[in-house]
Amino acid sequence: MEEIDKQGRNLSTTVWTQLDRKAGAITELTIRQLRNRISTWVVLGIGVLLISLLLIFYIDSIREEFEPYDNDGDSEDWDNDGYPLGQERIYGTSDYDESNFPGSTEYIYQGDIDWNDQPRNHYGNHTWFSAWGYFTPTWIDIETENPFFWDGDWIDWNLEPIICEDAGLSDEPFEAFEWGSLSRNYCLYENGTYLMFGAIFIGEGNFFVEPGWNTEWGYLTESFFVEKHPKSMYIDEDDIDWDGTKISSSQGFDDDGDCLREDYIDESNPNDDNRNGIFCDVQWTYDLNGNLVSIEADYNVDEDPDDSRWIGESSHRTFVIGTGKIAFVMILGLFLPLFLALGLVRDESENGTLHYLLSKPIHRGEFILYRLLGYLAIVVSYIVILTFIIAFITSIIGPGESIIRLSDYPVWLGISLSTILVLTAYGSVFNTVGLVLPKYGVYLCILFGIWEFLMGLFTITIPNSSITMLSISHWAIQIIDATVMIAWSDTSLMQQRSEAFGLETGISFFWHPPVHTLGTGNPFIALIISVVFILIFSVGMILIGQLIFRKKEIM
Amino acid sequence: MSDGNKVPSILVENVSKWYGQVIGINDVSLAIEGGVTGVLGPNGAGKSTLFKLLMGRIKPSQGSVKLFGIDPWEDTSPYRRIGYVSESERLYDWMTGLDFVSTLARLHGMTRKEAESRAEHVLKFVDLYDVRHKEIGKYSKGMRQRVKIAHALVHDPDLIILDEPLHGCDPIARTSIMNVIKELGNQGKTVLVSSHILEEIERITEQIVILHNGRLLALGNIYAIRDLLDKHPHRIMITTEEPRKLANAFISEEPIYGVRFPEEGKLEIQTNDLSAAHSVLPRVIVESKVKVSRIDNPDDNLDSLLEYLIGG
Repeated sequence: MEEIDKQGRNLSTTVWTQLDRKAGAITELTIRQLRNRISTWVVLGIGVLLISLLLIFYIDSIREEFEPYDNDGDSEDWDNDGYPLGQERIYGTSDYDESNFPGSTEYIYQGDIDWNDQPRNHYGNHTWFSAWGYFTPTWIDIETENPFFWDGDWIDWNLEPIICEDAGLSDEPFEAFEWGSLSRNYCLYENGTYLMFGAIFIGEGNFFVEPGWNTEWGYLTESFFVEKHPKSMYIDEDDIDWDGTKISSSQGFDDDGDCLREDYIDESNPNDDNRNGIFCDVQWTYDLNGNLVSIEADYNVDEDPDDSRWIGESSHRTFVIGTGKIAFVMILGLFLPLFLALGLVRDESENGTLHYLLSKPIHRGEFILYRLLGYLAIVVSYIVILTFIIAFITSIIGPGESIIRLSDYPVWLGISLSTILVLTAYGSVFNTVGLVLPKYGVYLCILFGIWEFLMGLFTITIPNSSITMLSISHWAIQIIDATVMIAWSDTSLMQQRSEAFGLETGISFFWHPPVHTLGTGNPFIALIISVVFILIFSVGMILIGQLIFRKKEIM
Repeated sequence: MSDGNKVPSILVENVSKWYGQVIGINDVSLAIEGGVTGVLGPNGAGKSTLFKLLMGRIKPSQGSVKLFGIDPWEDTSPYRRIGYVSESERLYDWMTGLDFVSTLARLHGMTRKEAESRAEHVLKFVDLYDVRHKEIGKYSKGMRQRVKIAHALVHDPDLIILDEPLHGCDPIARTSIMNVIKELGNQGKTVLVSSHILEEIERITEQIVILHNGRLLALGNIYAIRDLLDKHPHRIMITTEEPRKLANAFISEEPIYGVRFPEEGKLEIQTNDLSAAHSVLPRVIVESKVKVSRIDNPDDNLDSLLEYLIGG
């Protein structure tokens, strides 16, 4: 070759083409070696299995469609009175009291004598409630049955009265009174006065309350018949009302009336949780650029949206994002290099086959690089094919009007890119570790992998926690977050909607807007920063590996 | 090629290499250019250390190693002109012989096509052409050694370094490999071949380097060394049915100064001039008409050579 150079052939071309040929030879050798190992096929096969399981799970949930879900739980009938919570709410009755339901008799408070009120006598025809004191009746209602089925304090007049004197309660009833000597909460004096101990009854007469005791009175409402609503009426009954305007405005309407109900709205309870001065509405806030900042709903407004309308798309996106972050970046991203990159140079050295390669005019640094290229050739094509398959299937069967969801593809491309970068970074780390610690490097790599996995999980839930920035998975997940924001710009809206209206789509868990936008909110900046970060890290690790390998004495 | 004539292919100057407390090579200086040179030494003498230093695998603790004037630890460019057969027995068993050789040829910057035709050429040279499409895993020991030699020759190197190429081979493979090495020497290449068996080296070359305990014991023509050895007491062991009759015949011969009967049916003759003794040996035996079943040179092995060299 030297002679050829002297003959005047362009030196740069020969150097470069030779380099190219060496790179090709080692890359090809590496690919063939990996292909010849069973462990390669096992780990790639497990990856395919994992993705297939996810696909089956996806297809299954798509098939079932999205069953209406009672987001606010008001279709339940906790007290089994036949009226669901939603209906009881509208009538202001309790869903935890079987005797209290729409149209049921209700006790309405009118007045009381408290422990130190004056005077301590009251005359009237009332329902006496928790009455403590002496009642001298002119009339007693012995017909009305206990409307409070739970309340044992209601007096059953059909029973023979207990005479107070017989019970030892004659002159000084308060001193003589002992619980247990009386089997009921009232007794009758021979002069026709009753002594009441917290009894409930209807009657007309004079009530004297001893100082320190108290008694309350009111009336019972007429019961009336209210048709029982079917439970299904309270599922998806309060849909999201949004007119599509993209400026800050008051939206939303309380379709099921559980916020607007009259007895709820008073000064102490204005039902204006978002404090925008409007009762029972939803405040949609946009910034000057028309980006949605927040959705704040008053309690019980738009709280049970139509799931089939809102969940389908969000759930699809959650599946794509979750699969990308966890299955691709965090699982495949770690396991492929652990099995394929750790031994790239180490195994050659241990087998003694390294001698053949290093006795050739090839720089040791180049050698590491070409080995990694061979490894990347396998894993990159694997990831690209795998993402394309899953992208193709889900984009066809996924929700939406169009035959194929084209907007999915940029996201899958981002997932692919993110995974490939992670495979490069982890591959160069593991290869270097394998070089430095041939025997125990695998344990170090597993520890590193656990760290990366945990930081990945943290990044998914709290993307702006700063400790996670010390991991590669953090930046890889940022890439996915950024591409999602680019390809599906309304994901933010969906996420806000899910949070504001309690839609259980999981999108709020799996996706957050990218953090590293330098304050601009521009996903492209986050994308570029994250890609550059991982690339710099990978190149750094390769350089360290090359430096170590160059100085390493090979026995 | 021009600078190849000025500087020796191998130049080792005052090189020492120690691994912690253990000394691998101790102050060795060597210059080798042209022909086949045998590196002799028992196991652990420092042969492999020397070769690893030459191949840039390890860095000398002291001194300098130059291949064609270039330090191989710093620069891999000398390997364009060097073929190396390591002592490692592991190969890529899943590859065919042709695959293996041509893949490694491509590391010299050859195109796929060039590499393949060169590989076929060298496989023919080491007599593996017929099995070139067979997987290396199915090769015999001798074939494996030869495919290793083939890869080292694929780029037509000027210097070939073979680390124990005959190790573990059967006699037929041994002979064929020896022929290959001799042929390379005849082609005017510089060949360095190591062994711990004197006889092997003797059959290949005259020029030897003897290493012992990391030191360079001797360097030069094997016969010159032998001659030195011959001037000192030497034994020849003859196995015969009539040792005493044969002893009488030898006693009168000039180079022989003593006889012994170490055991039944054996005669040991002692000489100070081994070559002279060997030259009279056939005549004496024929004239005495005694039946001789075996002649051994118990001192003619590496151990006694080393013993002598260390002692002297």
